[in-house]
Amino acid sequence: MKKLLIAVGILAVVGGGIGWGLSAPTRLSDAEVASLKDGSPVKGEMVFWAGGCASCHATKGAKDHDLLKLGGGLRLETPFGVFVAPNISSSDEDGIGGWSLADFANAMTHGTSPEGENYYPAFPFTSYARMSLGDVSDLHAYLNTLPAVDGKAANHELGFPFNIRRGLGLWKRLFLDPAPVISAPAGGAEYDQALWERGRYLVEGPGHCGECHTARDVAGGLILADWLGGAPAPTGDGKIPNISPVDGGFGSWSASDIAYYLESGFTPDYDSVGGEMVHVQENMARLPATDRDAIAAYLKAIPPVVGGS
Amino acid sequence: MRVIQNTLIIGIVAGVAATASVAQASDDPIQSRQAIMASVGAAAGLAGGMMKGEIPYNPVAGKAAIATMRAASVNFGDYFPAGSDAGKTDAAAKIWDDADGFKAQMAKFAGASENAMKVAGKNGPADLDAFKAAFGPVFGTCKACHEGYRKKN
Repeated sequence: MKKLLIAVGILAVVGGGIGWGLSAPTRLSDAEVASLKDGSPVKGEMVFWAGGCASCHATKGAKDHDLLKLGGGLRLETPFGVFVAPNISSSDEDGIGGWSLADFANAMTHGTSPEGENYYPAFPFTSYARMSLGDVSDLHAYLNTLPAVDGKAANHELGFPFNIRRGLGLWKRLFLDPAPVISAPAGGAEYDQALWERGRYLVEGPGHCGECHTARDVAGGLILADWLGGAPAPTGDGKIPNISPVDGGFGSWSASDIAYYLESGFTPDYDSVGGEMVHVQENMARLPATDRDAIAAYLKAIPPVVGGS
Repeated sequence: MRVIQNTLIIGIVAGVAATASVAQASDDPIQSRQAIMASVGAAAGLAGGMMKGEIPYNPVAGKAAIATMRAASVNFGDYFPAGSDAGKTDAAAKIWDDADGFKAQMAKFAGASENAMKVAGKNGPADLDAFKAAFGPVFGTCKACHEGYRKKN
């Protein structure tokens, strides 16, 4: 762990000091900004559940209506320090109510704040970068309909050099890539191409499944060759399972087993969902059944990661 | 299908028997609670199979599933003595760090399954809809506890 910290520290210092130009935050192009259209809050609600926003930005343990109060405050304890989820409610003062759609889209797809600072990738913009600008616009419209929550969340608790946001610009150059992870369905399984692509979009984009289910390298970037092969839990003890279709593991789940799990929270053996996955499953249960089928179709036809967690 | 159903019912009854006798059968609390949880899993498998329509609904089977949950709910929480966090267990440290919270989860499990027993009556819930109404709340308590009190796996 110490080695990791030093390695990332050097990267950050290099990014913050010598590579000033390389570490500049990126933004949407002028053409992309011009193409943004106001979204639909009704469609945005589905994007909200698919994206799992409430799992970090609502109060810990929130259920039902309290999931819509996005005042932040959840503490993510990681090897780099403690990240505190910010207030993303519609409050002008303390939340993001005063943001333009372009501000929001820059945050979601470039990890860049309205003030031009880099966000830490505890906010999974590396996945959200794969979202369509239409979905981002719909989500923005929906978030604007949610209650304003007063009060800013606490600051992150990060030591030097992780507290230098500029250094993240270099990290983003290495690890922020909106291209799909899996280019085409793998294996001999029969699949419906459109369904598989919808599943890929949900898993690799808004669902940000890879952020926990894929192992990270010393610099904290996802090891894409081991996509969804499982990883040590980013917070707390235990591990996040391998959900690639590996023999003797997740590969024994049928597509309908996966869809049923996402709907009900029960595995094929009738063990129940646990840990942070409870939130994820309850979010997935709110999506249309076809979306759960799409996720299942995708997970059945990606390369198996043998020897993952 | 018939064979599966009978096997499951036998499994459930064995599970209930195991629940009743673990205190004598084993001095190892980890082994005891895992045996109880295995009977819960088997009961959930029977209940879930019937709810999904993979196993034909039968009131006797419905009652067996509910009674297994009930027996487990009044016993399970007794097998987490101090020190039994060490060993081959998925029990999270939070069970001991937040003993009141864990107790509250156990109380929810016990309450839901007691209620289901009342609905089941002497002969078990008459049809699948009655069974779903009785068993659904018991099912809901599984993940409420697994969310915070079981190690991630």
